[in-house]
Amino acid sequence: MTEPATATPVVFLVDDDETIRVSLARALGLRGYRVRAFASAQAFLDAYDGKAPGCLILDYGMPQMDGLALQRRLIETDIRIPIIFITGHGGIPESVQAIKHGALDFLEKPFKQSVLIERIEAAIELDRVQRVEHAESSAARARFDALTDREREIARFMVANPGANSSKDVARHLDISPRTVDHHRARILEKIGVNTVAELVGLAMEVDFGKDA
Amino acid sequence: MKSLGVILALALAGLQLFAVTIVVFSSYFTSERTLLNHARTQLVDAGQNVIEHTKSFLAPARSAAELSTALAENEIVRREQRALLEGLLFEQLRAAPQFAGVYYGDEEGNFVYVSRNGPERFLSKIVRANAELRTILLDRNTEFELLAERPDPTDTYDPRTRPWYQSAKGTLRSIWTDPYIFFTSRSPGITAATPVIGFDGVVQGVAGVDIEIRELSNFLSRLRIGQTGAAFVLNRNGDVIAHPNPALLTTAGEDGALEFPSIEEIADPLARAAFGDRLRSDGTVNAREAQYDFVYGGERYVSQIMPFGLGEIPWTIVVYAPENDFIGTIKDNRRLNTLIAIGIAAVTGLLGLGLANRIHAPVRAFAVRSSLVSQGEVAPDAPMPRTYKELENANTTLVNEISQRKRTEREYRLTFDLASRGMIYLDEMTGRILRLNARFAEIFGADPADLEGRAFQSLLATGEEDVVALFAANAGVQSGVSFKAEARRCDGAPIWINFTGVFIRSGDACESYVVATIDDVTQARVSEEKIDELNRELAHVARQQIMGELATGLAHELNQPLTAITQTVDAAQYIVENRPEDSAEVAKLLGEIDQQTHQAADIIRALRGFIRKEDNRATRFSINELLEQARRLVLSEARRQSAEILLRPGPDVKVSAVRVQVAQVLVNLLRNAVEAMAEAGSPERKVVVSTRLGGDDLTIEVEDSGPGVSPDLRLFSQFETTKAEGMGLGLSISRTLIESNGGRIWYDNSERGARFSFTLPLKPEDP
Repeated sequence: MTEPATATPVVFLVDDDETIRVSLARALGLRGYRVRAFASAQAFLDAYDGKAPGCLILDYGMPQMDGLALQRRLIETDIRIPIIFITGHGGIPESVQAIKHGALDFLEKPFKQSVLIERIEAAIELDRVQRVEHAESSAARARFDALTDREREIARFMVANPGANSSKDVARHLDISPRTVDHHRARILEKIGVNTVAELVGLAMEVDFGKDA
Repeated sequence: MKSLGVILALALAGLQLFAVTIVVFSSYFTSERTLLNHARTQLVDAGQNVIEHTKSFLAPARSAAELSTALAENEIVRREQRALLEGLLFEQLRAAPQFAGVYYGDEEGNFVYVSRNGPERFLSKIVRANAELRTILLDRNTEFELLAERPDPTDTYDPRTRPWYQSAKGTLRSIWTDPYIFFTSRSPGITAATPVIGFDGVVQGVAGVDIEIRELSNFLSRLRIGQTGAAFVLNRNGDVIAHPNPALLTTAGEDGALEFPSIEEIADPLARAAFGDRLRSDGTVNAREAQYDFVYGGERYVSQIMPFGLGEIPWTIVVYAPENDFIGTIKDNRRLNTLIAIGIAAVTGLLGLGLANRIHAPVRAFAVRSSLVSQGEVAPDAPMPRTYKELENANTTLVNEISQRKRTEREYRLTFDLASRGMIYLDEMTGRILRLNARFAEIFGADPADLEGRAFQSLLATGEEDVVALFAANAGVQSGVSFKAEARRCDGAPIWINFTGVFIRSGDACESYVVATIDDVTQARVSEEKIDELNRELAHVARQQIMGELATGLAHELNQPLTAITQTVDAAQYIVENRPEDSAEVAKLLGEIDQQTHQAADIIRALRGFIRKEDNRATRFSINELLEQARRLVLSEARRQSAEILLRPGPDVKVSAVRVQVAQVLVNLLRNAVEAMAEAGSPERKVVVSTRLGGDDLTIEVEDSGPGVSPDLRLFSQFETTKAEGMGLGLSISRTLIESNGGRIWYDNSERGARFSFTLPLKPEDP
């Protein structure tokens, strides 16, 4: 929990149709949301760095860069703001594509306001959870990063071979003494902040430790 | 053309009769006018005659009175010389037979009077004012010898009280009294009186002469005016004082005294009529010279009224006579002359007719023969009747001409009858079939005899244009007329015919007809209709396909305003629930909702304009509205391709076309432009639609900023396309649609990209 959770979530809105932007921003504003509207995908990209919490209401069909393209760009830049697509077309292939890329929902215009509000609430909650999780995994990763080379080598082996991670196995594999392994293992568990090797393996998988060797 | 017989009869008999009539009538009227003038002159002459006679008749009385005055003034006549005065007066009386008496009275009342007293007898009356025996009467003969003397003690006569005395003394000059009836002789007369003035300028006495004017009446009765005309004299009071019948001149007045009858009372109605109404309202005579006509007892009279023109004698003479006295004979003469003229005219007229008949007879015989020749009852080379040489020459020429013409006619008839196309002669005025050939009857499946005389219109389908009206509209303007029409065969089957006719005039406009060639074009027409129908169907299918392609985009277009509406409604609901006092905000939101709803409605309208069924009928509609709707239909697609559609319309005019077809063409061109720019990946993607007025049509241009069209491509032909998925039908259909609406469509490359243009008529096309 290093990220301050107190920042007010923002509902970002990207739609090239001005009447939609104005009416939607106003309706949501009245309901107490902070709304920031953009007329194009590029304008949003220029203005948003991913730090502000909240969600994105995104028009699917737009000239130049459409909603799907923007979604792709956000994934590429690792901005994981929850996206609620809105569309006038409502074609099934498009919605499948969007959901596959992690969109929260795909609403067909015109939509019921209660549904939209519910989705926004869900999105904001998701964002909050994501941000917390993201913050936790970052801390764990930092702890892994603090291991010495030998310790990292031993930890990786244990994580990669969950069925053969006794001290003897590790010592044979690394051609060192089992006592040394025991010593290192105790240091590793202490540094990472877990009590058992099983916990270590779980955390390591969470932060993708072991793949980046 | 007039008949020679009529012309001859008119020339020989009619003109002569006409001339005689003119001469008779002109002499009739001029002679009458001359005679009436002559009658008036005669009346004036008679009147002058009477006036002159009266002057000379009255003159001696004045002379006598003036002579008596002179004697008295020269004191020749004195009181003691009264006998001498009586003698002087006697001499004057005896010298003038018209004098009734001569006398002298003085200021003292003395009076000497000498008068006629029957044949050869005279009576003197001597009044001495201061004598014992005041009045003495003396009878004398023509020699002035005293026959008897007797006093008259009862007499109280005083000359100074008499009107003649007082009048002359008052005016100090000679006077005439008004005429009156003398007491003694009961005859009409007047008195001339002259005052005797002494050296001191004082009146000493008055001399007087009585003169009888019965003589004037006698003169009038002797006067001859015309045959039965007469004249009479009036004094200024309108009393008749001289008249051809003196017996009428005396009448008893109210006091028993004798007086003259007024013109209004006199027992001579003819005289009254001759005078007319020339009395003034005060009873005096209007003495201006006048003439007039009047009718009395059924006869016409002329009348002349003349003043005497003598200062002291204000008399008027009226002369009158029946018109016939002057022109009766002439009238009789004229009647006779007219009868003679009529007789002559009749005789010469009959002679003229006879002559005309003789001249005309050979011509008539020739005419009869010509008619028989033309009917074929006599051979053209049969011997001629006796006739004029000129006609014989003309006949020879004609006979040649006729045989030539008959040959031509026969050839023409064969050509006409055997022609492979239907042919007819129509009366231009009635549209009736005068003549037809076998092919024409065959086209209509009828017996030729049934068609002859029928109105051509009755062969056409109902609702076809009236041919007679068509002829009337084109005759004189065009040499012929041609049209295509639906007709009915006799069995009722519909057929299509081509009518090509020329106007033929022979001589005058009465004989004008139309010779027409009729072709049965039913087969061609059916194919044409089939092609039209196929084209229409193709266009319809294409439109449906476009609609299918546009539908998704349009649904999106429609969803935009609907979404905005739901959002705005939500905002409004929120305010109503949480800040019910803020009604101004709600009102503003409602206004926006209204606007957004109309936006949605516009899209639906554009859509409907594109799919509306109009039975392919041309209407007049606003081009700018259509441009806006077409833009809306393509807007969603353009947006997806990041293209912009700009409208730069000229004046908003109404064009005449099938609206849905024009919409189809516009949508097609707009989509082509958008797709071409997208496929070429043009950086700038703009379609500009502009309109421009020119003459009778409007030009619409669709210009894009794409790469243009390759010159190798035959645009507007079927199956030629640049598109990966196109059939190449769009432009071909567009051309069919524009041309069927009376416009043109073409293409050129502009400096920016491709430019498609088409025209639409501003006015309805003639069908």
